[in-house]
Amino acid sequence: MNAAAGYSIRRDLRNGAIAGLVAAVVPVLSLAIHGGTSMPISEGGAWPLALAAAQLLLGAVLGAAYGALFSGQPDSSAAGLSTGLLYGLLWWILGPLTLVPLARGRIPGWSLEEAAAAFPSLIAYLLYGAALGGAFDLVTRAAARGHPDVPPAPSPAGGPHIVILGGGFGGVSAAQRLERLLARDHTARITLISQSNYLLFTPMLAEVAASGLEPQHISAPVRAALERTEFLRADVEKIDTAAQVIWLGASGPADPIHYDQLILALGSIPNFHGLPGLEACAFTLKSLDDATRLRSHVIGLLERADVEPDPAERRRQLTFVVAGGGFAGTEMIAELRDLVHSVRRFYRRVRSDDLRFVLVHAGARILPELNPALAAYAQRKLEVRGIEFVLNARIAAARPDAVVLTQGEELPARTIVWTAGNQPHPLLRGLPVEKNGGGAVIVDRTLRVPGASNVWAVGDCAQVPDAYREGGVCPPTAQHAIREGTVAADNVVAELHGNPLRSFRFRTIGVLVALGHRTAVAEFRGVKFSGVLAWFMWRTVYLAKLPGLEKKVRVALDWTLDLFFPRDIAVAAAGPILVDGRRGTEHTGAHAAERSSR
Amino acid sequence: MSRSYILHRGALPGAAAGAVGGLALGAAMHQMGMLLTVASLIRSASVEAGFAVIVFIAVILGAGFGMLVCRQRLETGEMLFWGLTYGALWWFLGPLTLAPLLQQGGAAWTIGSAQASFSSLLGLLWYGAVTALAYAAIGPRVSRERARVTAGTFVGGMLAGLAGAWLLGGLVGAQARWLGDARLGHLSPHPMGPLLPEIGILAGGAFALLYPRLRDGTGPTLIRGTAFGFFCWIVGALTVLPEIEGMGLAWSLDAARGRFPLLPAFLLFGAVVAVLYRWLTAAAALLFLDNIEARDEEGVGTRGLRAVGRGALGGLIGGLVFTIIMVRIGVLPIIGQIVGASSPWSGFIVHLVIANIIGATFGLLFLGRSVDIGSAVGWGVSYGFFWWILGPLTLLPILLGTAPRWTADVAGALIPSLVGHLAYGAALGVTFYLLEARHNPWWISHSEADSIRVERRREQVLTSAPALWALVIVVALTLPVVLTCGMPPAPSGYSMSSRGTGYGRDGPDTRLQLPGGPSTAYGSAGGTTSCGQGAPGSGAPHQP
Repeated sequence: MNAAAGYSIRRDLRNGAIAGLVAAVVPVLSLAIHGGTSMPISEGGAWPLALAAAQLLLGAVLGAAYGALFSGQPDSSAAGLSTGLLYGLLWWILGPLTLVPLARGRIPGWSLEEAAAAFPSLIAYLLYGAALGGAFDLVTRAAARGHPDVPPAPSPAGGPHIVILGGGFGGVSAAQRLERLLARDHTARITLISQSNYLLFTPMLAEVAASGLEPQHISAPVRAALERTEFLRADVEKIDTAAQVIWLGASGPADPIHYDQLILALGSIPNFHGLPGLEACAFTLKSLDDATRLRSHVIGLLERADVEPDPAERRRQLTFVVAGGGFAGTEMIAELRDLVHSVRRFYRRVRSDDLRFVLVHAGARILPELNPALAAYAQRKLEVRGIEFVLNARIAAARPDAVVLTQGEELPARTIVWTAGNQPHPLLRGLPVEKNGGGAVIVDRTLRVPGASNVWAVGDCAQVPDAYREGGVCPPTAQHAIREGTVAADNVVAELHGNPLRSFRFRTIGVLVALGHRTAVAEFRGVKFSGVLAWFMWRTVYLAKLPGLEKKVRVALDWTLDLFFPRDIAVAAAGPILVDGRRGTEHTGAHAAERSSR
Repeated sequence: MSRSYILHRGALPGAAAGAVGGLALGAAMHQMGMLLTVASLIRSASVEAGFAVIVFIAVILGAGFGMLVCRQRLETGEMLFWGLTYGALWWFLGPLTLAPLLQQGGAAWTIGSAQASFSSLLGLLWYGAVTALAYAAIGPRVSRERARVTAGTFVGGMLAGLAGAWLLGGLVGAQARWLGDARLGHLSPHPMGPLLPEIGILAGGAFALLYPRLRDGTGPTLIRGTAFGFFCWIVGALTVLPEIEGMGLAWSLDAARGRFPLLPAFLLFGAVVAVLYRWLTAAAALLFLDNIEARDEEGVGTRGLRAVGRGALGGLIGGLVFTIIMVRIGVLPIIGQIVGASSPWSGFIVHLVIANIIGATFGLLFLGRSVDIGSAVGWGVSYGFFWWILGPLTLLPILLGTAPRWTADVAGALIPSLVGHLAYGAALGVTFYLLEARHNPWWISHSEADSIRVERRREQVLTSAPALWALVIVVALTLPVVLTCGMPPAPSGYSMSSRGTGYGRDGPDTRLQLPGGPSTAYGSAGGTTSCGQGAPGSGAPHQP
């Protein structure tokens, strides 16, 4: 049994060649009996011994190929004989019916006449194949004698242990790449540790918050995405890069985990910059929990507003503020507007005049990463839909009933969504490596972390130099994180094998921003799109990028149903989350857990 | 495995089973009057001596069979195909090689010798089947996993058989009408003609008895059913039905040629019976059993869609390989006629679409069934052969507005297409396997669950799957060649004279010329199909 002794192409070739030599006795005997040959070496006039030697050589070569291709057969003479017979007859088609006519300058016709004329060689190939299969079984069994007839133990000790921290885009793409690169190296172990057991597709998070998609449909279980990688759902307490060990929290194994190579893909968490009241009052949009709670909160406010007698309070309840005019903030305010307007008819006392959607942005224009013309289009489109823009303004503080701007202005609102700042995972603070001002680990072009041996970093938690802009750094986007994960995996394997490392080089392919209600803007390498076409592109591209076929189907169904039916307003929570200005401990805990997983 | 095990669990019960097979073979040969020929091997002129020689050889071969298969899964249904394959192998080894070697000092590897020994092929297949069934009955009991035949499975088998018989009746009826052959009349034209229900019930019931618990998925079951259909052709069309008609065994070359149109019908019949039986038993298990462990596989919705994609890609690559042969034999315009076009490019597009669709079905049917390149090629080639029967022999003529024509000469004219289908299947199977094995190759077990899966896949090879692959390719490559050579050309207006694959509506405009001209055509211009050695255009080596 070949699997028992591990995979070895050299051994299979050798065993196959030996079996082929033994089986070649069939054509050689045919040669001896008839003075001719039935294998495709039959030019007349050759010295019989030379012809016999050629037959043996051909038999050995075909046998070696058989050994390489058919090495997986279990101990079974009958199975060996049958597959050998199959192999021999396929060579009859390929040899006498195809290659031999070609070698003689004729185009094969595979006709009845040709098949009939080649019938003697059919028998020769058939018997040769059967003998080859039987002999290969005997040779393999003799060679493997003494080896236990059991499959190899899972992940035998001795191989390198590669640990990935974080189950986001960067971490999962690194694990998938490692699985492919190390497919035939059964000694290597790959472990991925994350606080959540799913890969969240963040581009669609705003749609979940807006009740357009089911939460589970945009989250792919990591265990399903990775077939070989061991997965641990746990908190990481400490990383010791000197001893190359990781300590996990109470949810994980008590013993520290040793690694030979470590890939940091811890992601980022919201950064409130210490502004008063924000951490307690603001919603963020980093996790599924964030999205579902925001949805429940908004629908809860609509329920309250529908019975609220005080007009001022009702306006406060129906004012929604989003901080940050980047991709996430713009998409969020657009989706919030869509959600509220699509379900407003269920709340008969809520008038459209009471609804207010405000986007607060520190810059002079929204979407600063986007082409100015497209950004202007987006702003114009959203303004037409009733969204207010407060530009060149920052949030100074937040209270349960209002948002305070730096200029002193107050926006009476019971909802503020914070998308105006992220920071790398706090676990990185304890690492003795160089970090940038924001706390991200600085890596070189190969994604290696200088100052720590065998450590690599990708995604939002790393500052990756941009190969196309001297002194620039790569933006913290999903498309970068995925490619960084791939390159990190390549370099980990190269490091293990002593091969040269490759540099990370990637230029943003394009950006897509959904503006709600079948409108979007997109830019691909300088080519601009807007409107319905861009919206269609947004959906097509992100559906294609959504991990997992099953999730693709589910999201496609969600979108299709959304065309015909109103959005769902059923909520589990009894009322708005932030009415009393404080979130429950359950929410805070889950929130923190999700944050740290990124 | 010790020598003692092989002796006591392989050779001895195998010899006993071989004796049973020898008795069956001897009886058949006696009826055909061939025992005297056998007796001449020991320079005797007595029928009894011939019978004794048959039984003696049968016992030795039976011992070899037992030694060979004693490691396999010893179930009746699995043994049947090992026996058939073993019998087929011994036809090449015995009557065509060893016997002439001993008698004349040289092997008889010519097409003429093969045709002369055709009844021996059927005899050895018959012997192999009886020996295998006897070995399953009297063989080692320790390791045998005997599944119970319940009334439900039996009824399921008979229902599947009846449905298959309805199809068989329709197909054979169309053949009989076209051929005007009275010998096929009792099976037609009405779908539920006099004998069809009995044939369906018997075959379906026998299949249920052979496979009370089918482990395979639909794809392997389809191939198993096709091979079972071949067995039914031998037992039914060539043995029992001629006996009922009072014609004796139809094991001669001419008789088999005459009943060749029933072969594709029985192959499709077997496939339908097996697949329906598989689905019926699966539906019954779904409704009446609560075996959660048996349903640990992922559903079609997750890996199934991916398998469709992989299969479609495999089908595309297989289709491109097949295109080489199609271009050579100039059949692409005929394929284009399916959509009413006649240009080669239209045919090429239609061909690729069909290749894609068949590839996608392969992905669904054979998902996770390839343990290595060997099984990938095995299932692929078998599926390719099935589609040769279903495609160019059956569906293509129907799509082109004519009845399927299953005579041996038509099959002979379609041998290039057969080679193409086998190459297509091999390329499809290998591509699909490589795509499937990109992640988590079977030879590595990373966890306990994977180990179980790997073991389950490896178990497949211990079933009769390898025997099925071998049997299918032997039947595919041998029968059309042996049965067709030397036959009169096909009816006027059909394949031989059209120099194409024989399809197309009436009229010369649909007929094609082979690129190589008349000399490379399928049929000769004379009275019989030219299969002589050294045929023009043949690059194959020859026997002296």
